[in-house]
Amino acid sequence: MSAFRLGWHIMKERISAGRMMVIWPLLTIFILFASWGLSDPNLNLPASIVVDSAYDVMYVASAFILLSATMGAVLISFDGISRDRLSGVLEVKLSQPINRSMYARALLLGHWGAIWLPVMFLNVLSVLIIWHRIDDLPSIEEFFIHTLATALVLFWYTSIQLLASSWAKDLGSSIAIGLGIWMIFTLLWLVFTTVIAGLSGVGVDDLNSAEFVRIDAFMDLLSPNGLYHHILEMHLDNVDRGMSPWNVGLATVIWSMLPAYLLTRRIERIHP
Amino acid sequence: METSLTLTGVSWRHMVRDFSTWKPWAKRAGAGIHSIDLEINKGTILGLIGPNGAGKTTLMRAICGLYDCEGFDKPSEARRSEIGYMPEQVRWEGNVSVKHALQSIAMMRDEEVDLDAIIQTVGLSTKSEQLLDNLSQGMRQRLSLACALIGNPKILVMDEPLNGLDPLAQRAFCNLLRTLANKGVAVVISSHQVADLEALVDRIALLHHGQLLIEGTLGDIRKELELDEESGIVEMICSATGIDPEEVSLQLSNDDMLPFKTLGGEEE
Repeated sequence: MSAFRLGWHIMKERISAGRMMVIWPLLTIFILFASWGLSDPNLNLPASIVVDSAYDVMYVASAFILLSATMGAVLISFDGISRDRLSGVLEVKLSQPINRSMYARALLLGHWGAIWLPVMFLNVLSVLIIWHRIDDLPSIEEFFIHTLATALVLFWYTSIQLLASSWAKDLGSSIAIGLGIWMIFTLLWLVFTTVIAGLSGVGVDDLNSAEFVRIDAFMDLLSPNGLYHHILEMHLDNVDRGMSPWNVGLATVIWSMLPAYLLTRRIERIHP
Repeated sequence: METSLTLTGVSWRHMVRDFSTWKPWAKRAGAGIHSIDLEINKGTILGLIGPNGAGKTTLMRAICGLYDCEGFDKPSEARRSEIGYMPEQVRWEGNVSVKHALQSIAMMRDEEVDLDAIIQTVGLSTKSEQLLDNLSQGMRQRLSLACALIGNPKILVMDEPLNGLDPLAQRAFCNLLRTLANKGVAVVISSHQVADLEALVDRIALLHHGQLLIEGTLGDIRKELELDEESGIVEMICSATGIDPEEVSLQLSNDDMLPFKTLGGEEE
């Protein structure tokens, strides 16, 4: 038995959960409407943001994917382990002869798949919307990079949220930890970046200064959202924040391995 | 009698939070089980009895490989593949069907399983497509039993399995356990419904404060404790723990009943 097979089974369970009635409209409004709005040929954006190709639209719209899809990952995974633990089902599952690390992988794949598949479906639709609006399609390479980055950021959030769910003794704590982490990375990271820049002696009155951009680029490596944008920016000619692709690659590997490893260790040692 | 599992000096202590201002994360060893020696025999129904907090559930979880403790003649993963475990009061819930839930468990055993036959055995045939959220507690108990039966286990470990079942289902349940035992399955069961338990079990293991006080057939234990033939499980518990049957109170599970031995052997 593979983790993929069990993960697929878990994914079907999660994707049919009642909360998808909330997540689907959330994703649809943010992803499709953002693509529609941002691909308006008469759109006026701040001068620093250039939108003149399908990939540019996808890049700018990625902020809306972050807001909605990562929240979806949190909402799907927050009770991935804690609910089973509270109900006693985890006791039944842990008493089965499945290898615990394989079970952890299946949990991760199942929960990740349950948010990635809807997002992927809507991303394909958004590409079609962009095509209809500006008569331009992303190249296969661009589409691949966008898909990979989206898949990775959802994987990171799912890993973090499942880890939180395995720590929490009740559903309230689990959702509080998950939403807290989401808010830090999504809403408060710029504040942290500004504080770090200020403490480093970099003026924070000009957020476009070279020194601030350098610190901002570094801080983004420490955040899943920032790293997501780093990956997307690697294919943009008009965006250069001075971050080496090697650093971005290393951060990607660490973000992909570390939370997943911690989750696996946690499942290997968890008591019902 | 052929032995399915042997326990030799099995010990486990729960780590409990030790509230402290300066070290809020600190933990200390709490209650548990201590140096349990026990043989689980093929085709035998073994009843675990004892007051609340005696360590019955902890012992069952240890047998099922849920705790990383030593003292078994088989490693944890091998035990888990031979054991079907039914925990106490599992609250199955979710937007999936009974059959889907069973499929999840069957996948974790990686065996070809005739789920329909198991569903029929536990009397859930008419509920197999019903959502877990809509099940009554009795039906949830049956589902837990179905999970324990997946993969034809050699040992069945059941924690308070009769809770929530109606009298007819309890009778059917006991009949099923006897049939399985006759086929060679070793059954370990705990229940506070002592009348049913007395009629069902072949042997009794009496636990108190995590220690195994006495183990044997009902007749052996009566003889050992010098009880008359009329004496039941309550009298056995009272006799073994030193309580006067006329003065039984809810203090039975208090920590001052027996000297509490640490893993090192010294008394706490």
